[in-house]
Amino acid sequence: MERVKTGVDGLDAMLSGGLVPARPYIISGPTGSGKTILATQFLFDGLKRNEPCLLVTLDEPPIEVKSNMAMFGWNLDHLKILDATPDVRAHKRQRSVIDVGTALDVRDMEDVSEIRQSSQIRALEVTVHSVQKMIKQEFAGRLDKTKERYKRIVIDSMTALKMFSMQGEDSRILIQSFMRFLAELEATTLIVSEHLDRTSIETEFFLGRGEIRMLKWIDGSIVRRAISIEKFRGSRFDDRVRPIAITSGGIVVYPDQQVAMTNGSTMKVGESLLELRIIDDISNVLESALHKMEEAHRRQIPVRDLEVSLSRAMLHFQRKNYQKAMKVALACNSQLEQRLGGVPPPPESPVPPPPKEVAP
Amino acid sequence: MNGTPTKIHTGVPGLDKMLHGGLVPARPYILSGPPGAGKTIMSVQFLREGLEGGERCLYVALEEPPNELKLNMRPFRWNLDDMEVLDANSDVRRFEPTPILEISTEEEPARVRDLEDRIRKTPDFESREVTVHSLQQLLKNLFLKRQYQRVVIDSITALKYFCMREFEETLTTQSFMRFLAEAKVTSLLTVELPEEGEAPPEAFLARGEIRLHKFRDDTGIKRFISVEKYKGSSHDDVVYPFEITPTGAVVQSGPAKGVAAAL
Repeated sequence: MERVKTGVDGLDAMLSGGLVPARPYIISGPTGSGKTILATQFLFDGLKRNEPCLLVTLDEPPIEVKSNMAMFGWNLDHLKILDATPDVRAHKRQRSVIDVGTALDVRDMEDVSEIRQSSQIRALEVTVHSVQKMIKQEFAGRLDKTKERYKRIVIDSMTALKMFSMQGEDSRILIQSFMRFLAELEATTLIVSEHLDRTSIETEFFLGRGEIRMLKWIDGSIVRRAISIEKFRGSRFDDRVRPIAITSGGIVVYPDQQVAMTNGSTMKVGESLLELRIIDDISNVLESALHKMEEAHRRQIPVRDLEVSLSRAMLHFQRKNYQKAMKVALACNSQLEQRLGGVPPPPESPVPPPPKEVAP
Repeated sequence: MNGTPTKIHTGVPGLDKMLHGGLVPARPYILSGPPGAGKTIMSVQFLREGLEGGERCLYVALEEPPNELKLNMRPFRWNLDDMEVLDANSDVRRFEPTPILEISTEEEPARVRDLEDRIRKTPDFESREVTVHSLQQLLKNLFLKRQYQRVVIDSITALKYFCMREFEETLTTQSFMRFLAEAKVTSLLTVELPEEGEAPPEAFLARGEIRLHKFRDDTGIKRFISVEKYKGSSHDDVVYPFEITPTGAVVQSGPAKGVAAAL
């Protein structure tokens, strides 16, 4: 299978040759770990192969990207850049906002000069919709004019898109849709995303077809950097953490060197198993209450109030307040039992004896 | 089902032993793990086992376009030609106020051998949306038409995130699992886990949960598997290491030393 080179030799080696084409991937890592450099290097590699490449910048204005990348001496003149950085927000509440898609165009990097000034009248607001529309227009326009498809796209960054452009909407569905949109373009896409909270499940991370993770930490007085591949669908890959350096020629990965890691993560397996036993008990009670709830519905016994407290139990459960969850769930369960008139619970789920006390 | 029901094999070497013989048929099970743990590979292995025995198997794709799934499984050289794949990925959403088309309940799954090589494109003037209700109705119709023995839902997390519009997620997920249990198919539902912290509630709603763990040490990614819960059967309480080999996921019988480069 033909692979798309990332432009970093050591990384391509880790990826068994490069990325599987026409799919969206995630580059993750803390600020200053080299995500944007890696993404730009990927675009530069495409330009060297005369592939049409598009950078959608949401974090930094194009002029800053340009000057930041100047030190590497890459010729990015023919890189197409879509400036989707939001304007300075006017403090007055504005009814009408200009759609970024109608106000901006895609420029060549060589034409990028100074920073765009915020409009005096109306602030330019960036929405996922407008970014999407813009990319689509550009894609179709390019195809029309030159019969070429964009081969490589970088979205820098998803974090900014989520922060600025998805307020008040169901961001998970918007991200799913946006990633679907990118996949349908059939370009190889890198999406830059910070993933700060490892305890949450972020949509782009499980929808992304792979994750390249950049690591940065302080070792004594030295900043150390490394890279790892966390997920790569449809391919084998080097699963070790490899050191990297940011040199005058861009990112260099040392695929033969190792990074010493010290953590006792294997310990966590045991702990999580213990916690699961508690969780298991609560879910049994919840399940049995749900069974009864269905039965009550079937027999048209009013249980509206109990529905509310049951969902409160589930909320506690979700928030890991296991004791409260258990208490509410048990109370709910016994109330349901009373209303159903002491009907034996469904045979397959064993019900623990309901306590006498009632939840506050 | 009286006495001990005949269990069915998972198709993952070593896993049946952990499950003391395999899975009790006609029930839903959870396969959970963080991204990159190997959930999709294992669930396809589960279907492949069924195909080998001449069973009818359905894969409901909610995360990955079917064309990519087909390509991704190619290195394992499994014969998946007869596996049926239902494309339950929502289209790119329309922002214009056009009517949303729910996925048709008449939609048919495609056999892997007939799958397109390229991704399905969102049509210009309409946009297909998958909701949990339409999907459930669609599966109901399918199950009435033909007898599926094994079904994979990949993933329940995607179903929850993209098909419920933040409405009563836990209750709705629960009811979807009830539906699968009543449909009398053996189903494997994948659940995304965060890398740290505890599992989301949907992980606890099924009769059984097989959990994949992914850790790093100096020699790379280490994968482990445990049976967290298995109602109606005894099972091993031990956490075993497993590897993704060129022929699929394999659970080791003892503690692993020097794991080879994983897939």
